[in-house]
Amino acid sequence: MGKETELKKKVLFRFFSYPVSFTIIVFVILLIVFGIFTVNRSFFKYENLTAMGRLAPDLGIVALGVGTLMIAGEFDLSVASTIPVSSFVFTKLLGWGAPLIVMLFVTLFTGLLIGFFNGFLVVRTKLPSFIVTLGTMLFWRGLVYAASRMMPIGIRAWLEQGSWIEQLFIGKIGGVFPVQTLWFFFFAIFLGMLVHFHRFGNWIFVTGDNEVAARAMGINTAMVKVVCYMIVGVLCSFMGMIQNLRIESFAANQGVGYELKAIASAVVGGTSLMGGIGSIPGIFLGTLTIQIIENGLILMGAPAFGISAFIGAAIILFAVLNVSISRVTGR
Amino acid sequence: MSDNKAKGKSASSSARTVHDASLVRMVDIHKWFGKVCALRNIDFHVNHAEIVGLVGDNGAGKSTLIKILSGFYTADRGEIYYEGKKVDIANPKVAKQLGIETVYQEQALAPHVSIARNVFMGRELTKILGFMDRGRMDEESMGAITKLGLRIKDPEAMVEALSGGQRQGVAIARVLHFKAKLVVLDEPTIALSVKESQQVLDFVQQLKAEGISVIFITHNIFHVFQAAERFFILSHGEALTDVRKEDTDIDHLIDLIVSGRTEMK
Repeated sequence: MGKETELKKKVLFRFFSYPVSFTIIVFVILLIVFGIFTVNRSFFKYENLTAMGRLAPDLGIVALGVGTLMIAGEFDLSVASTIPVSSFVFTKLLGWGAPLIVMLFVTLFTGLLIGFFNGFLVVRTKLPSFIVTLGTMLFWRGLVYAASRMMPIGIRAWLEQGSWIEQLFIGKIGGVFPVQTLWFFFFAIFLGMLVHFHRFGNWIFVTGDNEVAARAMGINTAMVKVVCYMIVGVLCSFMGMIQNLRIESFAANQGVGYELKAIASAVVGGTSLMGGIGSIPGIFLGTLTIQIIENGLILMGAPAFGISAFIGAAIILFAVLNVSISRVTGR
Repeated sequence: MSDNKAKGKSASSSARTVHDASLVRMVDIHKWFGKVCALRNIDFHVNHAEIVGLVGDNGAGKSTLIKILSGFYTADRGEIYYEGKKVDIANPKVAKQLGIETVYQEQALAPHVSIARNVFMGRELTKILGFMDRGRMDEESMGAITKLGLRIKDPEAMVEALSGGQRQGVAIARVLHFKAKLVVLDEPTIALSVKESQQVLDFVQQLKAEGISVIFITHNIFHVFQAAERFFILSHGEALTDVRKEDTDIDHLIDLIVSGRTEMK
């Protein structure tokens, strides 16, 4: 009997020592609450789920990258501008009649380059990345506003309905299942493998956790950070294209607020703001949690414009939880 | 000591045999920082499986000497012989390749990463495409830790959950695993409790038992006296004395360090 409780304790301790555990619990509770209390149980209705499946990957894909970078100990606020810049480049290329495959790669390359530039600035100046990427965010946003004169640019004139690029990014499998969700899963699995099972993932963790030690052991921490910034950049470009195709236009306000929402997703998923702690499953669930809170509360009839109050409260709650978990478990 | 220097300079075959006797021999080392002379005419050697205490007050030049040995600085003058061969330790990588490893307190480990991942930090064992072989990393890190006489159950536990002494043990197990021949311990007992310090001193003996030489740098004369077989005392960038444990006692050592003079000579 005593042995059994001992074992139970141990299993529980193990479970709670993973930063993702609380996110899982809260996620499940939210599903139950919204499942029961939304009007007509509309949360689990087919229409709502497919809408979520189309919309949630937007923030989700960006958050995966930003969270990975946070594990390496850096921030990227410029995601808010990498998204519209990519979308703008994509739209312009479309207007010039570039082949779709070229467009795809040039747009992704744009993100890669912006990411590289961010990373390079951060490791070279050794300034806090919060400041550096605040600067690049404003810089790119200024450029994209000037270039577009803040006017939306529709893409329908140049892109016929149902082209392969639309199928690839925003198609529906079997006419139902949104492809974006698959991309979101794909990136989560890809980054999960990289961060948790690959040698490079270990470098990400130790760079964020103790950069001096990492460097002493011969890890090129500057390279690790730059690569993480490039991952963020490419994911932003990818998401910029998805969003562009879904709303069928470039919009100057694309990406506004994503920088902080992405960080919030990572924090809700148990990622430390100091670097060195976090997990891809956590970030994955974190971004879903934030988005179902938003979605569920609206379905429950909460005033749509006041939703950010709840999101804000949730972020603080999770940040406090994370700290207290690590205190209790010694992790 | 001046005797050694003369031999080193003549570079005769007899000098070769002298060099062969020790694992590492630094001859006539000088280092200037601008106009300040940090090290002057230092002859320092460590024998195979020997524990040498490197002592001296702040600013005596201990860390400068060690940084030259581990490749962070290069000497302005002087030569280093390693296993009898003249070597040029141009950077830390060269030192590591030679088997010279430095363990710094608090700078060695990532606290929120598992023990196994810390042991293999930067040198992860991989299967294919750079994916880590976690099973082997767990196994081998536990092997090294057990060899050191440290008892830790779970290689997946975070370093943060370990005591100060255990952390030092993990850092030492790492150099043990990667076949170091000479381990430099920089203040390994600083900020440790009495019990934990004792544990670290046991690790040092274990390293010697494995045939590894140790340079033990510390301010704590009691710790170094217990651990080391020979003491090399620096004062203001010069070698004050090089004395075997049986030829001295703790009061004498303290006297030497404090006064910065040697009346014995």
